[in-house]
Amino acid sequence: MAVQSSTRPEVAPGQRRGGSQLPMEPQRSKGVLGRLDIKYSPYLYIAPFFVVFGIFGLWPLIYTLRMSLYDWDLGSTIETAKFVGFDNFAMFLGDEDFWNSVVNTLAMFLMSTIPQLILALILANALNKRLRGRTLLRMGVLIPNITSVAAVAIVFTQLYNRDFGLINWFLGFFGVDPIDWTAHSWSSWVAISSMVDWRWTGYNALIFLAAMQSIPRDIYESASIDGASAWRQFWTMTVPMLRPTIIFVTIISTIGGLQLYGEPLLFTGGGNPLLGGSDRQSQTVTMFLMEQFYMKFELGRAATVAWLLFIMILIFSVINFLFTRSLRSADGKAKQRKVAR
Amino acid sequence: MSTNLRRRSFAAIALAAAVTLGAAACSSEEPGNGTTEQITLNVDVFGNFGYEELYKQYMAEHPNIKIVERGTGSQLDAHNQQLTQRLAAGAGAGDIVALEEGVIISYLDKANLFTDLGEFGAKDLAGNFIPWKFQQGTTADGKILGLGTDVGSMAMCYRTDLFKKAGLPTDRAAVSALWPTWDDYIKTGQTFKSKVKDAGFIDAVTNTYNTILMQKAGQGAGYTYFDKSGAMTIDTNPAVKDSYDLAVKILDAGLSAKLQAWTQEWNNGFKQAQFATIACPAWMTGYITEQNGADGKGKWDIAAAPGGGGNWGGSFLAVPKQSKHAKEAAELVKFLTNPAGQTAAFKSKGNLPSSPQALGDAAVKAAVNEYFSNAPTGDIFAKGALDLKPVYLGAKNAPVRTAVENALRTVEQGTKSSADAWTAAVTDGKKAAQ
Amino acid sequence: MTATAVRPGTAAPAPTRRRRKGGGAAERLWQASPLTYVTLLAAVALSIFPLYYMFVIATRTNDAIGQTPPPVTPGGEIGGNIDRLLGNESAAFMTGLVNSAIVATVITVFVVFFSSLAGFAFAKLRFKGRNGLMLGILITMMVPTQLGIVPLYQMMYEWDLHNKLPSIILPFLVSGFGVFMMRQYASQAVPDELIEAARMDGCSTFRTYWNVVLPGLRPAIAVLGLFTFMEQWNSFLWPQIALGDPTNPTVQLSLQRLSQGYYNDYSQVFAGTLLSVVPLLVIFIIFGRQIIGGIMEGAVKA
Repeated sequence: MAVQSSTRPEVAPGQRRGGSQLPMEPQRSKGVLGRLDIKYSPYLYIAPFFVVFGIFGLWPLIYTLRMSLYDWDLGSTIETAKFVGFDNFAMFLGDEDFWNSVVNTLAMFLMSTIPQLILALILANALNKRLRGRTLLRMGVLIPNITSVAAVAIVFTQLYNRDFGLINWFLGFFGVDPIDWTAHSWSSWVAISSMVDWRWTGYNALIFLAAMQSIPRDIYESASIDGASAWRQFWTMTVPMLRPTIIFVTIISTIGGLQLYGEPLLFTGGGNPLLGGSDRQSQTVTMFLMEQFYMKFELGRAATVAWLLFIMILIFSVINFLFTRSLRSADGKAKQRKVAR
Repeated sequence: MSTNLRRRSFAAIALAAAVTLGAAACSSEEPGNGTTEQITLNVDVFGNFGYEELYKQYMAEHPNIKIVERGTGSQLDAHNQQLTQRLAAGAGAGDIVALEEGVIISYLDKANLFTDLGEFGAKDLAGNFIPWKFQQGTTADGKILGLGTDVGSMAMCYRTDLFKKAGLPTDRAAVSALWPTWDDYIKTGQTFKSKVKDAGFIDAVTNTYNTILMQKAGQGAGYTYFDKSGAMTIDTNPAVKDSYDLAVKILDAGLSAKLQAWTQEWNNGFKQAQFATIACPAWMTGYITEQNGADGKGKWDIAAAPGGGGNWGGSFLAVPKQSKHAKEAAELVKFLTNPAGQTAAFKSKGNLPSSPQALGDAAVKAAVNEYFSNAPTGDIFAKGALDLKPVYLGAKNAPVRTAVENALRTVEQGTKSSADAWTAAVTDGKKAAQ
Repeated sequence: MTATAVRPGTAAPAPTRRRRKGGGAAERLWQASPLTYVTLLAAVALSIFPLYYMFVIATRTNDAIGQTPPPVTPGGEIGGNIDRLLGNESAAFMTGLVNSAIVATVITVFVVFFSSLAGFAFAKLRFKGRNGLMLGILITMMVPTQLGIVPLYQMMYEWDLHNKLPSIILPFLVSGFGVFMMRQYASQAVPDELIEAARMDGCSTFRTYWNVVLPGLRPAIAVLGLFTFMEQWNSFLWPQIALGDPTNPTVQLSLQRLSQGYYNDYSQVFAGTLLSVVPLLVIFIIFGRQIIGGIMEGAVKA
């Protein structure tokens, strides 16, 4: 936050961020009660998270891990199910349809995240200028975020309607024949990605904006004197400084994007939406998971896909994290943290 | 139906009722505070089964039973997913659940999840149902998973306004005469397309394909994708390939408006008169009425389906094993699905009975549909239901059917050749069957 | 902070420069060109358009769907559509609105409280296993929600909570994202000196949290609160499973019953969707200024 630089400019970085020098340290405290407070209260403060997660998150997680190792059918119990070890995992790793869902998910993830981040950067840069009606403009771009996935999907499905949709009607003016958006991979990817983009671009723009606000302006001043153009300054100064923010946003988008479900499901429509269309052209990993559950009644396999998805998210997040860390030295730790928002 | 059988089934119902009544009477006579044990039976349905009056009647006759219907008006998919979750969790499902045709078949190899209604005398009720309907709810080893409620017997709905435009006859007898076979239907379609360019002859080919397959299978081997031993027959049963080829022929003739069922495009298609005919199970008339609104009134009519009868949809009532009142629930199922119950449901919501006795009921026979140019729907659909020969469907029927439907859709959308799509259908179908 | 990292030792706080009028080659950088306005207005228009379209369909009859060209102006049917919506017993829309308001409010209060408390501990207190535990929380964010629905449902049934609101409240009382966000914010926005001073005054850690940290976290709390409320308001997957009783839905479940019924009454669906967005819109407008202000606080203060 920019807050900080304005409230305490006099504090040098080393003083505050020396790792071991947090303000509330046990050895500095006085009195038994105070010591106990400082030593143990942190556990009390973080306990609610771990208690609630332990009950409602961890237990189901362990349960499904166990399920994934069994041939667990609808109506099976741990006594009746057959233990198959990692057979389910091996089966999916060799399964074309599983990999198809991975490709679809990654494609839609990239197609939504990249334009989204670029647009968000451009928007943030624009919002960072001195503007009339600034608050209104900023709120305007955040509006899509208040609508539910269901509402977005209903509206967009209408817009992408083959015969009567606004988008085909509009493209018609340029001599483009009506596109059957749900029929092909690329077109359904485009349509679904656009829903995701619409919903999240403004949100990310505001996160970028917050980060941009904390970039000191005097460094631009000297660059301007050196004759660098605004465009050049944006790409050579602003963007590099935002890199940790960009990576944070990417991680959050990774977690959300790889679990994509509602938009493609509602967009596909028809009789068996979980399959993602006639040729599985828009089936994501989560839809594939639900197919195992609802259409095939294979609970063990559904649990397996859930774990594969979890691992996939973990891998991508670790890649992002390592990438982030390598950037730390360049831009400093502090910025890295700030990004969190 | 033989009178003998009918009498027997009525006797069984009377007996069942007496037993239940007797039980109720007994428990009320038991010493103590004098109150009977109150039992609440949850009935999980989708859409509308039209049972309100029947519940009232039943509760009046059984004062210790309270019936709560859940899920009224909900969509089939949501209902099915919820049921799956509750069966998986082993708790929460209703004492009675509605299972749609495709759903009950997929539960046939999971019969342990449901009470065998045969244990409660349902075996004697076979005469109350159209043979193929009764068979659909029975497992290979004779367990009765569910008893039939309604059927979705098949006719062909057509738009008289578009037929007139194409210079075709509009009278339902004359239209039925146009297409005794599917080849005749295609020829009629070609005539239609030569006159009317901006509308398809049919909405999409998949539902027609399913109708054709059931007809061909009934006339042929008596099964579709699986024989009675459970072996996969998608590429060995000639009925499957013949039906597929016929569907492709419809596509090649350019008859399809390419509107996938249950999508927004499809719904718009009704309103915008984008197709002239649609495979039309009994319940579809309600859908068309609703989608097309006041504009379409009198512009539709109903003719016989080419190639004989057919069926699409219709439901069953089953009792999950997890129910704590299996006996009471089974009795209620029998009550709701008996001929009188089915007739009452027809009168309430127009759900076409699956009982030959109810189909023969005067009220059913005399029913006409004003929206569809006063077509005698009771008569047309009853005939379609009774004409259909029983076809055995394997438990994995639904995923395999979906694989073939999707293959046809890729042909329809032009993303695959019919030969490639057939290969894909066979591969995917075999995989889905595993 | 960024500032300190890129210009160690520089004295002047950057944001104060913004207030300086005129002069400096860099000043031109902050001038909004007409292109900027065009870009932003286009973005706002695109953001609002689908919502506007929703409004248009909600004010028309069903015939509006499928018209070519599609209608772009509101009609006069909104009253009738809303009447139909509220009269639709199977959707139980009003119950849905009330239930969602209860659920989202309770969850938001708890998430904000627990997250800020834990975030404060992670950012400002020192304890064994701090980094490991924080990493653990990060990893919980990556668990796919779909993973645990079956065991979770069994649990709710066991405790007789299914079909009741607590079943959709309890699992969401904490949020990994919330803790993470609060930790990041607290470590930057709450100066250590303030905490140090509170400690010197003999404040317990909780009093420090309550009196010093919480006020400092206000903008972040507003943001987290709004995001949590919106997320819960729009949540669908779990409520659909946990709330089997159709007479006791959340607003999203009501909407689903409308939009996935056998018949598609689009104008009713869109009227419902519109009504479901209104409460959020109101909250957004009330808190929006504060939130946007919160994000921009530094700039404003300087």
